[in-house]
Amino acid sequence: MKKSKLLLLSTAFVALASAPLMAEDLVIGLATAQTGGLAPYDQPNLAGLQMKIEEINAAGGIAGKFPIKTIIKDTRSDSAQTAMVAQELVDAGAQLIITPCDADPSIAAGMITQGAGIPAISFCATTPTLPLAVGDYMFSNYPADNVQAAMLAAHAIEAGYKTAYILTSPDTAYTLKLPQYFGQVFAAKGGSILGEGTFTMGQQDFGAEVTKIAAMDPKPDVIMTSAYEPDFPAFVRQLRGAGVTTPILGSDGIDSPTTFGLGDLVEGVVFSTAGHATAGSPLEAFNAKWREKTGAAPDTIYIANGYDLGNIIEAAVTAADSLDPAAIREGIANLENLQGVTGPITYKGTNGMPLRSVSLVRIKAGDRDLVIQGQPDPADIPAP
Amino acid sequence: MDIFLQQLLNALSLGGTYALLALGLAVVFSIIGLINFAHGELMTVTGYAVCFALIWGLPFPLAVIAGLAVAMTAAFLMERVAFRPVRGASGTTLLLTSFAVSAILRVLFQNLISARPIPVAIPASLSGVVTIGPLHLGMIQLISIIVTLAMLLGLNLFLHRTMAGRAMRAAAEDFAVLRLMGLRANSVVATAFAISGLLAGVAGVLWVAQRGSVDPLMGALPVLKAFIAAIIGGLGSLSGAVAGGFLLGFIEVILQAYLPESLLPYRDAFAILLVIAVLLFRPQGLLARKTLVKL
Repeated sequence: MKKSKLLLLSTAFVALASAPLMAEDLVIGLATAQTGGLAPYDQPNLAGLQMKIEEINAAGGIAGKFPIKTIIKDTRSDSAQTAMVAQELVDAGAQLIITPCDADPSIAAGMITQGAGIPAISFCATTPTLPLAVGDYMFSNYPADNVQAAMLAAHAIEAGYKTAYILTSPDTAYTLKLPQYFGQVFAAKGGSILGEGTFTMGQQDFGAEVTKIAAMDPKPDVIMTSAYEPDFPAFVRQLRGAGVTTPILGSDGIDSPTTFGLGDLVEGVVFSTAGHATAGSPLEAFNAKWREKTGAAPDTIYIANGYDLGNIIEAAVTAADSLDPAAIREGIANLENLQGVTGPITYKGTNGMPLRSVSLVRIKAGDRDLVIQGQPDPADIPAP
Repeated sequence: MDIFLQQLLNALSLGGTYALLALGLAVVFSIIGLINFAHGELMTVTGYAVCFALIWGLPFPLAVIAGLAVAMTAAFLMERVAFRPVRGASGTTLLLTSFAVSAILRVLFQNLISARPIPVAIPASLSGVVTIGPLHLGMIQLISIIVTLAMLLGLNLFLHRTMAGRAMRAAAEDFAVLRLMGLRANSVVATAFAISGLLAGVAGVLWVAQRGSVDPLMGALPVLKAFIAAIIGGLGSLSGAVAGGFLLGFIEVILQAYLPESLLPYRDAFAILLVIAVLLFRPQGLLARKTLVKL
């Protein structure tokens, strides 16, 4: 009796030991939001990533030998919950962790993953200080705030604007810092900032602020803000309502169908975004593929962005040729000029915020009109 | 001077929206002692109803009417399904129930409809401006001032001139005696919820017209403001809720207009400080109601 138990045990050990000889799964843990305030960003990114993972697995895994297995846990858009979920995913053996589309929960998760020596990539956090706050195992998957701001400021100077007014909200790093980075670059390039107004996110009331702008003398040549839904539509409606026709610059937060539904109100608004589907571009091909799969055109760039995260993972693991988390980190950190569907992606030489192309788009008759696409002059990018 | 008048007009418009919202909370609280934190979700439901009605091709006025009808029905259902079983329970139970209703609805919106905002095609005529002398007033702001005044007047007439209205006022005074008079508690409570739903619906339409989209979480902030307004006014007092709404709107606009630029990021902190100051002098709120809520 005892002998047979021993035999059974040793067989089990042999079976365990031989497991690595079979095809290995890359286990990706997703500590991202299906519910709460970040769900509008995390959900489309996840959908894009899952499409890429399905394609990889249908082809037998990354480089034909590493199929991907995902463990998805909802963080409810809460930082404490994100840290807890990250710990659960580390314990479950994840070799790579994906964190939400915002710096705060990503930092919370990063504290766990950095300590465990597992690379973490945020879906689309834009705060350039994110990797500095966590460490060398933290990456993001989106053009940083200061990069977008530098592109917008260069455009403002080129368009001949001399003075600007910025509208910020202290409620998030994005709505506060991006316009301030814009102000820094704009001033460094010879423009001057006439003032800075603030708003509370979600309040939808700009009456007092708009009255102040309307009373400004002299008026600014341009107004720059990173306000997005629901604040941006309310702001532009009330601003134009007060008879102010000053041009507006915005950032990627307003790249949504709501903005394009505002008609004449947003005519001529220029904003930065992570990708623009020019004829024959990889993004156009991706959009067509997405439409074929789901029956509807993608309503946000975040879907393509999530798909590109899949491209990054595929390239990094292929380069590492191993599922060791440290090797995967090396793989990501050394990626250079990876052709994603949103444009070229480079991590080599950065602190973890990728160099990616930014598109400036002008709204023209309810449609997109590309102003410029590319990366800003590195000398223009303000330090985080 | 012109600028000050313009800011006053801005305050009136914002205060009106807050007053509508606070009134919706107060109507229900005065009768069953429940602060309905799912009131914001009634606004969201209205927004989705208007949005889908437009997508199905209804003209805008009909879509608004559909939205209001859906809001009233949703409020009625909320009462029937969630709040009636706990009626008469402690205030904490009622409060937690309303939080639960709110959380469940938000997750359902996010996962059954869409986590992303859905655009609502607001007619261009609503983007217009009315100019009165040196003052500018957006169409939506103007409508919200008029609608708020009309709703206040209408509600006043309803409460004083109709049987159901009188029953509601009596219920707010003393529910037990009302029942002894042979009136059905359920129908009085249902009426209160329907009115609260209508107020949420009107506020919801105005809110959505301003932002041009509906998203699952859009009810969170308005209900918070309504709660603050109702507290300043004196919980349970209908005229207090209106006064509180206008006062809150006034405080917010004046601070935004006249705080120095370096202090502007702390505007909300100053606004809440002023609210606390009001409560220090009038702990029961501006127009407190003395009677206790019993059921």
